[in-house]
Order: sequence, then structure tokens, then C-alpha cells
Amino acid sequence: MGGCCPPMDLFRSEPMQLVQIIIPIESAHLTVSYLGDLGLLQFKDLNSEKSPFQRTYATQIKRAGEMARKLRFFKDQMLKAGLPPTKSRRQADLNVDDLEVKLGELEAELIEINANGEKLQRSYNELLEYKLVLQKAGEFFHSAESSARSQQRDESRHTGDDALDTPLLVDQESSTDPSKQVKLGFLTGLVPRGKSLAFERILFRATRGNVFLRQAVVENPVTDPVTGEKIEKNVFVVFYSGERAKNKILKICDAFGANRYPFTEDLSKQAQTINEVAGKLSELKTTIDIGVSHRESLLQTIGEHYEQWNHLARKEKAIHHTLNMLSLDVTKKCLVAEGWSPIFASKQIQEALQRAAFDSNSQVGAIFQVLHTKEAPPTYFRTNKFTSSFQEIVDAYGVAKYQEANPAVYTIITFPFLFAVMFGDWGHGLCLLLATLYLIVRERKFSNEKLGDIMEMAFGGRYVILLMSIFSIYTGFIYNEFFSVPFELFGRSAYACRDLSCRDATTAGLIKVGPTYPFGLDPVWHGSRSELPFLNSLKMKMSILIGVVQMNLGIVISYFNAKFFQNGLNVWFQFVPQLIFLNSLFGYLSVLIVMKWWTGSKVDLYHVMIYMFLSPTDELGENQLFSGQKTVQLVLLGLALIAVPWMLLPKPFLMKKQHEASHQGQSYALLESTEESLQVNSNHDAHGHEEFEFSEIFVHQLIHTIEFVLGAVSNTASYLRLWALSLAHSELSSVFYDKVLVMAFGFNNWVIRIVGILVFVCATVGVLLLMETLSAFLHALRLHWVEFQNKFYEGDGYKFYPFSFVLHDDEDE
Amino acid sequence: MGFFVTSLIFVVVGIIASLCTRICCNKGPSTNLFHLTLVITATVCCWMMWAIVYIAQMKPLIVPILSEGE
Repeated sequence: MGGCCPPMDLFRSEPMQLVQIIIPIESAHLTVSYLGDLGLLQFKDLNSEKSPFQRTYATQIKRAGEMARKLRFFKDQMLKAGLPPTKSRRQADLNVDDLEVKLGELEAELIEINANGEKLQRSYNELLEYKLVLQKAGEFFHSAESSARSQQRDESRHTGDDALDTPLLVDQESSTDPSKQVKLGFLTGLVPRGKSLAFERILFRATRGNVFLRQAVVENPVTDPVTGEKIEKNVFVVFYSGERAKNKILKICDAFGANRYPFTEDLSKQAQTINEVAGKLSELKTTIDIGVSHRESLLQTIGEHYEQWNHLARKEKAIHHTLNMLSLDVTKKCLVAEGWSPIFASKQIQEALQRAAFDSNSQVGAIFQVLHTKEAPPTYFRTNKFTSSFQEIVDAYGVAKYQEANPAVYTIITFPFLFAVMFGDWGHGLCLLLATLYLIVRERKFSNEKLGDIMEMAFGGRYVILLMSIFSIYTGFIYNEFFSVPFELFGRSAYACRDLSCRDATTAGLIKVGPTYPFGLDPVWHGSRSELPFLNSLKMKMSILIGVVQMNLGIVISYFNAKFFQNGLNVWFQFVPQLIFLNSLFGYLSVLIVMKWWTGSKVDLYHVMIYMFLSPTDELGENQLFSGQKTVQLVLLGLALIAVPWMLLPKPFLMKKQHEASHQGQSYALLESTEESLQVNSNHDAHGHEEFEFSEIFVHQLIHTIEFVLGAVSNTASYLRLWALSLAHSELSSVFYDKVLVMAFGFNNWVIRIVGILVFVCATVGVLLLMETLSAFLHALRLHWVEFQNKFYEGDGYKFYPFSFVLHDDEDE
Repeated sequence: MGFFVTSLIFVVVGIIASLCTRICCNKGPSTNLFHLTLVITATVCCWMMWAIVYIAQMKPLIVPILSEGE
């Protein structure tokens, strides 16, 4: 601001400087680390032409990446084992090289344990399946044998009876050619139940029906040794004849993922195998248990250190990433860093440099110097947790140009205010206030938690919502609405019946008898037949008044900008005509509105405004609001007409003249300058020198002028959204109240009443508190981004991103 | 209470609020100026809203006509 006041917080970016630091190579690592702790320096990439692999510290970055990969692997393993990393603040000093070695060892150990465990688990599962096969197939053979035996017995009895009749035939049949008699082979195993039908069909087709398959269902799902998943399976026994059939069956088994197991017919051997398998199983079980507990304890020890290691590895990577941005001195003994820092941080940075030089036992300290440049510095606002969310609202549109006036200063108040104009209901405001107070009270708890997307957004904007709710309580009192119900809080209504009988109350209406209702809207309006016409007129005019005031504020801020950048052209050929143009049209309209209210005259403002343009010389007649109005209007119209070319023409020509003058001056200076300053100039010319293109400037100015002139109309109209939304809000809430709550209570039935309350609450929360809040928020956002900020805000700067470990940690998580 | 009396109350409340911020969180001239700006903006906004609604009701052209039901 002017010379009278101290610079206002947040109004302009902190003054920034480009600094150069020359760091001896032995203390570079520590220096960068300390600067990262400080977090007030944004390093410039001095090696932007080099690819990541050509840079000095590429190998170190690769190593850090490898460490990060190992840590991720550990984290995966820990999560799978259900042992999340514990938060321990044990800060054992740890060297990065040690950490690397340690991580390598741990990884190898863990991988080995995993591999061993897997192998053991696999053989364990195999044995389990084998055991099942032994059981089921054993049962099958047993039952088959017993049934065969009984059949034989039957048959023998049968043959005994008919021995006389058919001995020869039997003999003939049984003594078929011994060369053709084939020994039946069989295979046993397990097949997934889902595939068992297909398995059977394929077997049947492949062997042309020359097989015999038996399946038995295994009740509990079995862990497959190959995939490690639990699957429901069937035990099968398949009998075949011939070597070719066997090969076919083996192939089919492989294709179906059916595991085969050896099985002997011999009963005694069967029992023996079962015993062996059981013994092996219990042996394996204990081995596996020991392995698992070993792995768990290993993971637990990793988990205790995980946070610390992770932090260290990340820091290491960030440091080397930054070191890669520095350029190596010709002598290869120093690194040269360039970066932006706020001027207030110079001292802290120098202290950090000294500390680093001391701690790393370097013989020479780092050299700190300020460079002069014409390059635009980054924009840096020091925000706190309250102001940062408002700053983000502005930044979402565009980051302020360096040291440009920051609209966030006014947005902090005007944004919630415009929101509240559209959301005026103190009942709803109270609900919103309670919700956001809950967020603020539990702030510490929530800030450490991972929240959902929407919750995260609400939590981030909790202070915005706080102000929004406070203002909507205020405007709620002004609109006199509490869930759309008015209260006579601030005195008696100003209106009463015309006479005692009150006959006219529903036809001609009440009359004003007392003093105006002192605060807000008279409660008598609610539910009356003329409520809507009155509110429409009031809210429409209010939106225009508010809009004109806010747009004027925007233009005034453009004056502060011009003053700050010492740009006289912008004051005289932009600020002044803009102010005149806007106020001679819409400022005048606002004055008319207020005058009409003040005097209670019945002038038609539409008529006045329209004929001010169409026929300004005509007499106003009955639409005259004050004497001399015609003259005033003629003057204002003239001023507005002059203001347009005033905005358009002089500025480009004057800029051209200025440019020529300065260019001449520069060439004179060059001739006289010494070699040294020549060098400096040539250094900075790369950034500072710009071609002056008159046509471009003129077109730019033309666009700017057209935008402003048309914008004055369209922006004013745009503020009417305040009227529309506030009306929609109050109508919706009164519909919910009248048509749901009041109607439900009209019934003398408790069920209907409770349902009515439920519907009312749901509608209020869902439609009014969530959707209406969102829409009012978005409209307030638009009014600020477009209607307010286009009057002064360039927003083409870039943000200050200091190198800081705190920020890095946040980003990654 | 007329228009000017209530406006005066708004001014007084604004002054008290700015004094309060000055006393409660005095953090150097820049921050104080920032707080003062906030308080002034808020007071002006609130006053404007009130004033518009008040003036609009001073000399009503439309009067409330009660609905038939009442």
C-alpha cells in the first residue's frame, strides 16, 4: 500500500531474491540436508539440458531408489503378514551406507526365508493331498474288493448250480487268448471339482471309452500346492489299459492341473505309506511353524525401524535429486547452487550454511551471494492454517504474479459473505456451524488420519466453512428465516390491519403503522401473498448493489497494483476510465435504487435506465426522481462514452513512446559502459530484452477494452445469481417445512408425524445442507474468480516451492 | 431505532472488533493491518446487507397481503 502504512500480510508476495551459493563438494550433502530442514530455498535446475543419467549423482539416486524398492518390499511383506509398521520415535543415528548394507542383508534373508517357507509349504500341501488320495482311494479299493468278493461268492454259488449246463461255454469265455489279455493299470490323484466333469468327458473321448474313472468328493477345500489357493477337489482313480492310453491320460492330467500320486494296491504297503506320510506331515508342520515365527520376528524388527529408515531413504533421494540440480564448478571442487528464497530468510540460510560447514569439518565455508536478475521470482505468501484454504481458492484460478495484489485478503470475508447471501437461513447456518466446529475441535485427530475424498475436502476447507456458516447465520437473521420460519426477535412487526375488523387484510393488505422493523425482514411477510413480489424486488436490487460495490473494490485494487508497480499509465488510462465507466452506468443505477427506496417514489427504474440510452434528451416526466436528473444523466452518458476511447487509445501510443525513449537511453548507456557492466548486461539481456510489437499491444488493449465494456454489463447481470439462488433456497426450505413437516403434523397420527420428521430431516440435510451448500459455494467461487478478479488480477505467476523435507514427506503419502 | 442510530451501532461494533483483534492477537504491524482489513471488510459487508433490507422496508410500495387461510 502507500507509504503511510506498513506492508500488509498476505496482500503481496514476500519479497524474493535470487541467491547463489557456492558449496565445497565435501560439505555439499550436509548443506543441502540442512537447507532441506530449513525449507526456505527453491533450487533452480542448472542442468536442465542434461538427461537424468548424465547427471553427477545419478548412481546415488539409483541406490536410493533401490533402497526405496527394498523398503516397499518390506512394507508389502509386513502388510501381508498383518504386522503394520509400528510408530516408534527411537532415533538411533544411522548412516546411509550402513542402512544400505543392512537393507540388502535383510532383503536377502527375507527372500531366503520366503523361498524356504514356500518350498516347505508346497511339500506339506503335496503330502496333505497324498494323504487324501491314500484315504479315498484306499476306501475305494476296499469297497471294490469287498463287492467283488461278494459277487464272486454269488457267482461261485451260481456256477455251482449250473455247472452241469454250461461248463464248456464258461471255459471258452474265460480262456480267451492270453496274448490279448491286458493288465489294467491305474492312476490316482486330485482334480479341481469345477473341472472334474470336463476331465471325465475328455478322458472318455481320448481313450474312446476304454477307461474306468471313479471320483470321490473331498469335503473340505484343499490347498493346491502349485498355486497355494484353496480349491474344492475330487480324488479320482482312473483305470486304463495299454501304454498309449496311459500317456494320453498323463497328458490330460497335466492339462487339467490334476496332481497325480503313486498308490499301491497292496494293503500292508498302503498302511505303511499312510504312516510315513503322517509322520512327515507332523515333522514338516513343526518346521514350517518355526520358519513362520522366525519370519514374523524378523518382520517385527523391520517394522520397528521402518518409519525411520523410510524417512532416511526418502531424504537421501531428495538430497541427491537436489544435488543433481547444482552445477559442478570447473575445478570440480565446488558445487554452484542457484535458487529463490524470501529475503527474510537470508540470515537463516547463512546460519545453516555455517553449521553445515562446521559439522562436515570443511576447511572452507560456503559462499552466499545475492544475484540481480530480471527474471520474475516465484510468488510466496506466508499463510497459516486459517488463511491457506482461502489462498487455495485463489490459487486454483491462477497463482498471483510476483508481488501482485492478492485477492485472498478480501476473499476471506467476501467469499463467505456472498455464499451466505445465497444461503441465508440461520437454522441451516447453525447446522453447518456445528458440523464444522466438530471438524475443528477434532482437528488434531483428523489431520493424522486418512479421510475419504469428500471428507478430505470438507476438512481442508473447514475454516472456509466456519466463516460461511457464521455469515449465513447473520444473513439468516437478516432474511428472518429459521428453517424458513420467521421469528419476531427484534421487536414488533411494523404492519397492522387497517381497521379493527381486519376485513381488508387479505385483499388490500395491511398498512405500516409502526417504525420499520429494526433488523432484517419484517416477519409479517412470511406466507403473505405479496411475499414473492416483495422479495424478488428486494433481492434483485440487493444483488446489483452488492455486485457494483464488489466490482468497484476490484477496480480500486487495480489502482493499488498500478501504484505499487509505479505504472502511471495504468492509473490514468485504465483505472480512472474504468471507474468512470462502471459508475456512470451501474453506479448511477445503484444510486437510483437507493434513492427510490429512500424516498418511496414510484419511479420506474427500467424506464429511466433504458431511455437514458435511447433518448437521453427527452423529458423524464413522472419518472423524474430528483431535479436536474436529465442533465446529470446526459453528463454521465457523456462520461461513459468518453471513457471507452480513453481506455483504448492513449495507452498503446504512450507505451510505444516510453519504449522508444528507454531504448534510446539504453543504447547510450551501452556505449559509455565499461566491459564489466557489458558482461552483466549481456547476461541479463537473455531474459530482460523484449521486442516491442505495437500491433500486438494495440490488439491486446482493444481486447481488454471490449472485455471491460461488455463485462460491465454482463458482470452486473451475473451478480443476479445471488438473487436467484437465495430465492431458490428460501422457497425450497419453505416447501419442505410447509408441505412435509406442517402437513405431517396436521394428521393426528404419530406414525405419519415421525415419517414426516424423517422426510423433513433427510430433505433438509440432503438437498439444502449438502446440495445447496455446494451450489452456493460454486456460484460464490465464480463471482470471485470472474466478476471480481478480472478487474485487477493477472494470475500468471508461479508458486514458490521450497526444497523441504516436510513437504516431501507429505507429498509421497 | 432509526437508520443512522443502527448504522452507528455497526460502526461501534466494528471499532470494538478491531480493537479486540488488536489487543488479542498483536503480531506486528503487518499482521495488525491485515486483521484490521478483515474486520473492516466484514463490518462493511454486514452493514450493507442490513442497510439494504432496512431501507427497502422504510417506505413500502408493496404491502403484505395476508393469504386467505389466515
